[in-house]
Amino acid sequence: MTAYILRRLVQLPITVFGVTILIFLMLQVLSPAERAALYIKDIPKNEAQIDRVIKRYGLDKPIYVQYVNWLVGTVDQDTGDRVGGVLRADLGYSRTGREPVIDLLLRRLPATAELAIWSFVPILGIGIWLGIIAAINHNKLIDQIARVFSIVGYSFPTFVFGLLVLMLFYAKTGWFPPGRLSDWAVQVVSAPGFTQYTNLNSFDALLNGRFDVFLDALRHMFLPIITLSYLSWALLLRVTRSSMLETLGQDYIRTARAKGVAEKKVVNEHARPNALIPVATIGGLTVVGLLNGVVITETVFNYPGLGSAVAAAAVSLDVLTVLGFVLFNATLLISANLIVDVMYAFLDPRVRLR
Amino acid sequence: MAKLLEVSNLKTQFFTQDGIVHAVNGISYQVDQGETLAIVGESGSGKSVGVMSLIRLIPEPPGKIVDGQVMFDGQDLLKLSENELRSVRGNRIAMIFQDPMTSLNPVLTIGRQITEALELHLNMGREESRKRAIELLELVGIPGAASRLDDYPHQFSGGMRQRVMIAMGLSCDPQLLIADEPTTALDVTIQAQIVDLVERLKKELGMAIIWITHDLGVVAGMADRVIVMYSGFVVEEAAVDELYAQPRHPYTLGLLRSIPRLDLGRQKRLIPIDGLPPDLLDPPSHCPFAPRCVFNIEKCWQENPTLVTVGTDHKSACWVDISNVEIYDPSADQQNVEAL
Repeated sequence: MTAYILRRLVQLPITVFGVTILIFLMLQVLSPAERAALYIKDIPKNEAQIDRVIKRYGLDKPIYVQYVNWLVGTVDQDTGDRVGGVLRADLGYSRTGREPVIDLLLRRLPATAELAIWSFVPILGIGIWLGIIAAINHNKLIDQIARVFSIVGYSFPTFVFGLLVLMLFYAKTGWFPPGRLSDWAVQVVSAPGFTQYTNLNSFDALLNGRFDVFLDALRHMFLPIITLSYLSWALLLRVTRSSMLETLGQDYIRTARAKGVAEKKVVNEHARPNALIPVATIGGLTVVGLLNGVVITETVFNYPGLGSAVAAAAVSLDVLTVLGFVLFNATLLISANLIVDVMYAFLDPRVRLR
Repeated sequence: MAKLLEVSNLKTQFFTQDGIVHAVNGISYQVDQGETLAIVGESGSGKSVGVMSLIRLIPEPPGKIVDGQVMFDGQDLLKLSENELRSVRGNRIAMIFQDPMTSLNPVLTIGRQITEALELHLNMGREESRKRAIELLELVGIPGAASRLDDYPHQFSGGMRQRVMIAMGLSCDPQLLIADEPTTALDVTIQAQIVDLVERLKKELGMAIIWITHDLGVVAGMADRVIVMYSGFVVEEAAVDELYAQPRHPYTLGLLRSIPRLDLGRQKRLIPIDGLPPDLLDPPSHCPFAPRCVFNIEKCWQENPTLVTVGTDHKSACWVDISNVEIYDPSADQQNVEAL
């Protein structure tokens, strides 16, 4: 088991290396002048200045030299400082955010993380649960309803669904407002007596004993969570349902029944552990996929997270911010894959012992 | 000997989109205590469905037991509630299946899969059931049983897995063991080992066995009585020696003549049964074997014969007394052609 995890950990940097090459190649669609923005904050006044920047940072050098420079940065000849280098977390300067890309990402991350954490539980819990219910009631009414629910969710564009619930639950009823916190709550959170332990409003509110702020945070997150969840539910439900149906048809399920095992135990102890093996992959990817979902969802609900920042960057062709997000997202995806693989090993003894 | 199981007029059908599949069409037989009954027939003859219906293991829907009675030790198994039936399954009637590679749960240890039935039916505790599981694995000849209890099925070979299946089946000392083609998926040498093992266990434990197979060679060595099934009907039933010496149904005769025999040399050609079994979606009203039968007479195309007694402890469902008809031998023709 330990050997298995270690082996996966060794593979991790290799995958990250591949991702950096891809992103670096995408950067090559920019002209050297645009790439110069990686290294400087203000826009040069004239072309001679741009040429100097290109020369100084070696943007006209062969591509592999540039790649190494991009990874580890170059030494500024005037000041002797090392500048640039994605491995040093220098992702360049964000035009739309008017701050370094990494600062922008880190500042916006807590809001998105909060949304993802709160969505994660209902997505996995309800999605898998519905899938199992549908499978054990195969072709009965509850299964048909689950299938319709899933098909609708699957074919509903996120922005349409988001706008729809926003119209219903905010414009008509005013129950769940967009944004992240109400004005009064923002004042509480930014007041000196309120300690921001995690920057996740809901958790900080609990830690500070402000239950009213906690409820306000949840109230603002409710619609984005539902919007994010519905699409994932649809997918997880389908995968779990078909996996469970397939498992219930296996010979070893018949063996369990022939032993006299009660149907509930057959489902929970014999079928479910087997059925969840393929679901683990989809589940892991769904959770990471939340980060993609948030781009649209956060924009619709005017929620100040990573997604809305990237959406703003994308429409103003702020390539550096978008690519920074891609790199960040890819690293997260690779880590999630690692976690899924380790989970696999827990679920399936055949993987564990290989 | 005392009667253990009496099946009468058992009918199982599958209700599919294409129509009703008549898998088992009213079969009757009985098994005495400690007896080995072999059920023989080709694929799709209803032998597996027939025995799975006994403990209602048919997936429902699409399957349904539409008629019949299964008396086991004075109880009709088809009338029991789910709960009552569960206390019979794996406890008094155990079943082992054809493919040991897929019949064990890949994510549970062998130990867990054996102890489960012990805890369920005999109310054993954890320690006690593990001790019993080790005994059972030793009984079926798994080396190093104690150390293998926490292994998973994929760590065992096919033959060893079938031994585990047998150990699971025997765990609660069943009165009846149903073996559904337990050697079909195994190598020939392993097949012999499994047959020997079951014979030894039967002598030691004294349970009755229903052994389903399409291999008449296996039957000859171990069964007391044989039932031949065709197209969901029992077409012949006899003591094993009687059946081999004096087959009374053309289908049985066909099966026997298609067994390769070393003692007859190479001149003798195997005689296959021509044609295919009837479509179970649309079963004929006449004898289902008539289209493939070399003995068929006009009556065979009008009415389906029922099982009638033709000798001591010997029943057959055929309009023709084939022991009095000269056998048409296509291989003789073949030899004539070759001679020309």
